[in-house]
Order: sequence, then C-alpha cells, then structure tokens
Amino acid sequence: MNDMVDIKIFDLALGFAILAIPLLVFLYFRVRMVSDLFISIGRMIAQMFLVALYLDWIFEMNNPWINSLWVFIMVLIGAGTIVHRVGISWRIFLFPLILAGLLSMAIIDGFFIGLIIRLDYFFDARYFIPISGMVLGNSINHNIVGLTTYFDGLSKRKELYYFILTNSGSRKEAIRPYIQEAIVKGLNPLLANMSVIGLISLPGMMTGQILGGAPPVTAIKYQVMIMIAIFVGCTLILILSILYSNLLVFDSYGNIKLLQRKKHTNNQ
Amino acid sequence: MIITNNISLSFNNSYIFKNLSFKIEKGENTCVSGPSGKGKSSLLKMLQGYLLPESGFIEIAGMELNIANIKEIRSLMAYVPQNINLPVSDGMELLKLVGVENKSEKVGHFAEKLGIPSGMLDRDFDEMSGGQKQRIVIAVCLSLERDIILLDEPTSSLDNGSIEKLMNLIKEIENKTVVSASHNPLWMGLADKIITL
Repeated sequence: MNDMVDIKIFDLALGFAILAIPLLVFLYFRVRMVSDLFISIGRMIAQMFLVALYLDWIFEMNNPWINSLWVFIMVLIGAGTIVHRVGISWRIFLFPLILAGLLSMAIIDGFFIGLIIRLDYFFDARYFIPISGMVLGNSINHNIVGLTTYFDGLSKRKELYYFILTNSGSRKEAIRPYIQEAIVKGLNPLLANMSVIGLISLPGMMTGQILGGAPPVTAIKYQVMIMIAIFVGCTLILILSILYSNLLVFDSYGNIKLLQRKKHTNNQ
Repeated sequence: MIITNNISLSFNNSYIFKNLSFKIEKGENTCVSGPSGKGKSSLLKMLQGYLLPESGFIEIAGMELNIANIKEIRSLMAYVPQNINLPVSDGMELLKLVGVENKSEKVGHFAEKLGIPSGMLDRDFDEMSGGQKQRIVIAVCLSLERDIILLDEPTSSLDNGSIEKLMNLIKEIENKTVVSASHNPLWMGLADKIITL
C-alpha cells in the first residue's frame, strides 16, 4: 500500500474557496444561513484541530474512565444539539435525550465491540471512541428530523390524538401514528443512504481505512458493521428519545402538555 | 349517567362558566348550547378528562372522574370532534386507528343511513367534502357501540337533509346517552334537554 499524500496548509486553505458556491446560493436566494455557515465551518475547524491534539493524549492514556467520559461528553453535546435544533425546552428534554443516548450507546458498543469485534480491552480508544462517535454523529440529524416530526405532529394535529385516545381507550394507540411518522421521516434517508452505499457514495470510514493502508476487504467488513451499528443506533436513540420524552410530554390523564417549541428561521 | 356538581372553568383569569351543575339520565339526548366561546367544546373535553374542573366534580356512570377511573370512563364514550379534517388517508384508516377494522360492515350500515355509500370508506379522505368526512367520522364512532356518545358540533358541515338523517339515526339508537355541543336550532329541536352556557 502507498503512503497517504498529505495536504499542505496552503492547499487546505485553498480548499475553502469552493465554499463560495453555497455562499452565493444563500445570498442569491436570500436564505438566512450565511452566519450559520461561517459559525459551523469555524466550529468544525476548531473542533477538528482540538480533536487532533486531545485524541493524541486520549489514545496515549487509553484509560477506561477517560474514554468513557469522552463518550459521555459526546452524548451530552449530541443531546444538547438535538434539543436546540428541535426547539424544545432544555429543562425538560435534555435529561431524557441524554438517557436515550447513553442507553443506546451501551447497547451498540456492548454488541459490536464486545460481541462482534471481541476486543480484549473493551474500552480501547481506537475502537470505543470512533465507533461511538460515528453512531452518535449520524444519529443527530436523524433524531432531529424524527423528533421534529413527532412533536410537530402532536402539537399541530392534536385532534387526531384525542380522537383516538377517547375512541380506542389506549394512549399507545393514540401516539402510534405520530411515532410511525417520526420513524419513517427520521430513518428513511438512512435506509436510502445504505441502499446506494458503494454505488453512489463511498463511505468515509472505509475510504479512511483504505487510505491508511488497511486491506479493502477488512475495510469493507468494518464499514458494513458500522453501517448496521449506525442504523440500529439511530433507531434506538430516536425511539428511546421519544419514549423517555413521553414521560414528560403527557400528564396522567393523557393530555398533551409541555410542547411549546421555539421557532427557527429558515430551517436553522 | 352524567352528573356535574358546581364545576367551573376559566381561561386567563376569566370564567368560561362557573358553578355549573346538571344531571343527564341514561338514554337522554342532551344538547349543550350557547354562543361561540362559551365553553361548549370545553365542557365535552371536561367530560373526557382532557380539561379538569377548577372546582366541583364530575360523576359518570357512578364513577367520579379522576385519575383512578379515567380509563374506565373513557371506555364508555365515543367522541366525534369538532374538527373532522383528521389527517388520515381514508375511512378504513380511521377504523384501524380506533381498533374497529373488523366492524367495517357496521360502519358501512351507519354511513348508508347517513347518506354515504359504504364504498366511500375506501375513498381518499382529502378528496371528500366536509359533510362526507363528518358523516364517516360519526359512523365510525357509532360503530363503537359505547353507552355515551359525545358529538362536538355534529352539524357544522351538514345540510338540513343530512342533519335530519343524523337525527333519525340518533333516535333509532336506543339506550345511548347522547351529549352534543351545537347551536343549530334544527339539531337542538331533537334534544330531550338543553343546557345553555
């Protein structure tokens, strides 16, 4: 295998020039996402360079408590991002979302690292952190879409909920259509993505492993497993987020409460 | 069958109704009437436990309406909402949602009595008129065969001919306690009792 070709700092800077295209699109159509774009790019650069620094340290330490703390921080940031983007109350929904993330990661990491890869050292930073990170990172968008669909449905189409609740007598039946819609809208893009993987998209993990010198077959096996982990993880995080949130969304009579959402402009 | 004792409800520190007491006997047809905003729909929601009285109590079928009895009380009720633009694909989906997909013949029977061909249950709900939707929702609720039928503005999308068909159907159903919210004079004429808010 060839060594990877490094990207020089000048070329890296030049690479940002292509952002002029989305910038022009936003300006031309007056989409108020220009500041969001700069903030997101700025955060990405800062975060990635910081990651390079502290991953070095974390990998060197390879301590189970530090690694677990790192995954916990990822869950915390993921839950916070979801709460902010869905526009729901931090005070009420942050805890259920953290709980959903932690339980999902325990199941996913336990299954894939403990049972499939069977590492001698379960908390090995080289596996534990990237696998958790890929599942959590991918789940954010799908969870935002799913939860937005769920809470929008409950707040804008309450009549159907109360109609089913009285006439069927079951809260489970009354929320079922809203959960179905959330799952379909939240996870459909992921299914579509999986179905074209290798044809249209070449996944980052596999490409990274191949560029790093791993045999393609090993890289593909890892990629297949990680795609399964991402799909199961996204499903778990979404459904657990909904179920834990439901404990606070409804009162004991089944009334919908606590659903005031902040309005975001232009799909921010 | 239904007793309210000095119940009150307010929004923004202003009473919608205060110390309201009434008694509805089993099999009685009662119409709650009054201008818009006087709490007709809210009263029907209170009977289902979706709004709780700020004072007094509600008793239904000998049970006080509280958290311990709410499930059993709701199991006695069928509810037709005011807004019948329910986000469903067709009438059959409505049946599935309330767990009576095995009663499609019964729904078809009630629908036909209301002037809706039973085949219409499969038609796209979005393509139906308000009156057609309203009659299908009513037919679905009647097929539940509950003791108490709550109808919120059941005539809002119906013409006089359809209202008469609905009135005849309600008369035919025996031993059902009907509570409706309406200010339609034709509909009010059917009621055994009128509660004016």
